[in-house]
Amino acid sequence: MKIRYILLILTAFLGAALLVAVAVQIRAETLQYQAAQRVEASNAVREPLLLNANALGDERSRTVMLLIGSDDEPGRREDLLAARRRVDETLERAEREITSRQASLRDSARSLSSLEGVKRDLARLRRQADEHLAADPDRRGAEIVPRWFQEATRLIEEVQSFRLTLLQQERPLEPALRAEAVLRTYGGVISESIARNQALLTWALSRPGGVGATEVETVSRNAGRADLAWDLVQGQLNAPLSEPVKAAIAAAQEEYGATLGPLQRTFLAALSGGVRPAIGSDQWYEIAGGALERVAAMQQELLKSSRQRLEGELAAARRSVLLWSGLLLGGIAAVAASILVVRLRVVRPLEELNATMLRLAENDLSAPLPRHARTDEIGEMGDTLRVFKANAIRRQRAQQDKEMLHARLKDAYRQLRRDLEAAAVIQSTMLPPPAILGDVQYRGLFRPSSLIAGDTYNVVRRSDGGVGFFQVDVAGHGAPAAMVSVASHQILSQALLTKSDGMHLEELVERINGDWPEDLPYFTMIVGEIDPRTRRGAIVQAGHPHPLLIRSDGSVEPIGEGGFPVGMVSTVSYERLEFAFGPGDRLLVYSDGLVEAENAAGEQFSEGRLRQLVREHSRGSTTLLLDQVDQTLRNWRGSERLDDDLSVLMLERLNERTNAHAHV
Amino acid sequence: MLTSELRNNVLVVHVGEKRVDASKAPLFKDEMTKCIESGQNQLVLDLSGVDFVDSSGLGAIVSCLKRLGPRGNLAIAGAKGAVSRLFTLTRMDKVFTLHDSVDAAVAQLSA
Repeated sequence: MKIRYILLILTAFLGAALLVAVAVQIRAETLQYQAAQRVEASNAVREPLLLNANALGDERSRTVMLLIGSDDEPGRREDLLAARRRVDETLERAEREITSRQASLRDSARSLSSLEGVKRDLARLRRQADEHLAADPDRRGAEIVPRWFQEATRLIEEVQSFRLTLLQQERPLEPALRAEAVLRTYGGVISESIARNQALLTWALSRPGGVGATEVETVSRNAGRADLAWDLVQGQLNAPLSEPVKAAIAAAQEEYGATLGPLQRTFLAALSGGVRPAIGSDQWYEIAGGALERVAAMQQELLKSSRQRLEGELAAARRSVLLWSGLLLGGIAAVAASILVVRLRVVRPLEELNATMLRLAENDLSAPLPRHARTDEIGEMGDTLRVFKANAIRRQRAQQDKEMLHARLKDAYRQLRRDLEAAAVIQSTMLPPPAILGDVQYRGLFRPSSLIAGDTYNVVRRSDGGVGFFQVDVAGHGAPAAMVSVASHQILSQALLTKSDGMHLEELVERINGDWPEDLPYFTMIVGEIDPRTRRGAIVQAGHPHPLLIRSDGSVEPIGEGGFPVGMVSTVSYERLEFAFGPGDRLLVYSDGLVEAENAAGEQFSEGRLRQLVREHSRGSTTLLLDQVDQTLRNWRGSERLDDDLSVLMLERLNERTNAHAHV
Repeated sequence: MLTSELRNNVLVVHVGEKRVDASKAPLFKDEMTKCIESGQNQLVLDLSGVDFVDSSGLGAIVSCLKRLGPRGNLAIAGAKGAVSRLFTLTRMDKVFTLHDSVDAAVAQLSA
């Protein structure tokens, strides 16, 4: 896998892990927020229910007051209507809360149907009370009161139990909230107990027959329940409650303990003794109402505190969710930024470097280099690549220079070769073709070791009929030797043609030798002449191999005593060798390239082998003999190439009668 | 290609090659020139190990003699076979003093 993909995948993976962790946290926060919402919703519904229970207690007391009242004091009915409105308001409020918080409440449908039941029962109770009140005051009895009171009480209990069910469903976990919920319940118990006694005693006090034992027991039970509830309230005061709540509780408790509590106890003591208390029902009603107001104020304070706490919790949970959501967004942005940075700063530069390296590796020197100057590792890689490219360009230039030089050398060589080939053509034209001069016939064999040779020969006929000839071998090879051979060719040809009658051949050689510049290479040669009249020949041997004289009878003999090469020692004398050269006699002159030619084993062809070869073919024609020499030498060498120039010149004095046919 | 030794004030130069031809002649000439320019006047060129001398080689040997000039002697020792024949053919036996052995050459030069 490529590094750039690994980097991107790693970054993406880490980012995803981070986001998952944050998302999990957000889910937890959301759940907590939803829980807080549920608790808040439950509380919001419980609050009007609590108020409703209180209001119902008030309505019950007022209704009882009217039911038992013989005198219809004006305003009491209005008070009852006001109390009923409060009950209706709280019920409607509870209904509204349930409807608007359906999402956060469990079983909201059942809650609504419970409320409907309450409303139905309430309507029935009110109808009963109203029917009774509508009757003639003198004829209406108070018998209805206990039954009505019991049913109203049962309805209040129903509301209370509905409220407690909601509390059970969403029990708050926070200690203060929990304590406040518990305190409200106790408050509810206290409130209901006071309200019951308020109604009961009002009714009992107003009755002419006095208070029965059953009533006393009920009143006593209610008072006991209130006292117990107050004790329980006392037990909850250790909870972390707010100061206004504590003050409200203390005020309510103080009011109860100072007024209603002792009065109730006095009543009970009097009633159990069969003594009618010295207090009117209205007065009792008012005192109980005062205590109820205090308890209601305490409840309001508790409700307010809970509401505030829950709102605070909800707000905190919402803040938390928002905070974590913000973190999630930040995380997403950070991951995106990381991937972007990795792409821009690492992956893309790497891709560019990679592409450039691949192109450079394929000798594509137009590959672009990274544009940005950077000091990190990628920058160093880019710098290295720059050096690679510069080196590659330098190498390419050097290669191009080399190729250009090579091409120039090739041109120069071709030119040189053309020059040499032209020179070779010129040199070969200087060599005389086979011909017959007078009664002397000649033929040459010429094989240079390279294009141009240091060997040369010529045959000339002088005006007096004499035939002069020479064969030259310049020391060394190549162009210098070839140029010297041309020079010697000219000098010797001219000298032979212009030689005066009295001048001897050796004098001619001595003069040339004496005039030869010391800086030039020396040469060996055979120079000779054939007298047309005397049938004799003469040669000067200047360091050249011994010529072979082939007599007409087939015998072969080397001639000559040797002699100094020309141009080596300036002041030396040469000797002339004269020999008989009759019809049919032939003279074979050759350069040392012939006898010194080596075979593959390094062995020289040698004069001995040459003599043997000539003897074997001494009766054959000149052409045949030269062909044999050429062919034998090629076989000896085993190749077409020669190490030294090779030239052979053969002269023959023709038979006078058959000079047109002999031995050509 | 050359080794030399001093015997009785005569510098004996041995040729360590079997052939002195066009390819070896320039080096031979250089090394011999050094021997001559070292101040030695009496030299013996030992050709006993040489089988073949061509025209370039001969030219190099003669040029050494010319460089030595009249102030000294260059004797040839141990020339045989083709080398000896070349010296005869080119009459170099008249220019150089030829000896069969180095000893004889040294004896003659130091006398």
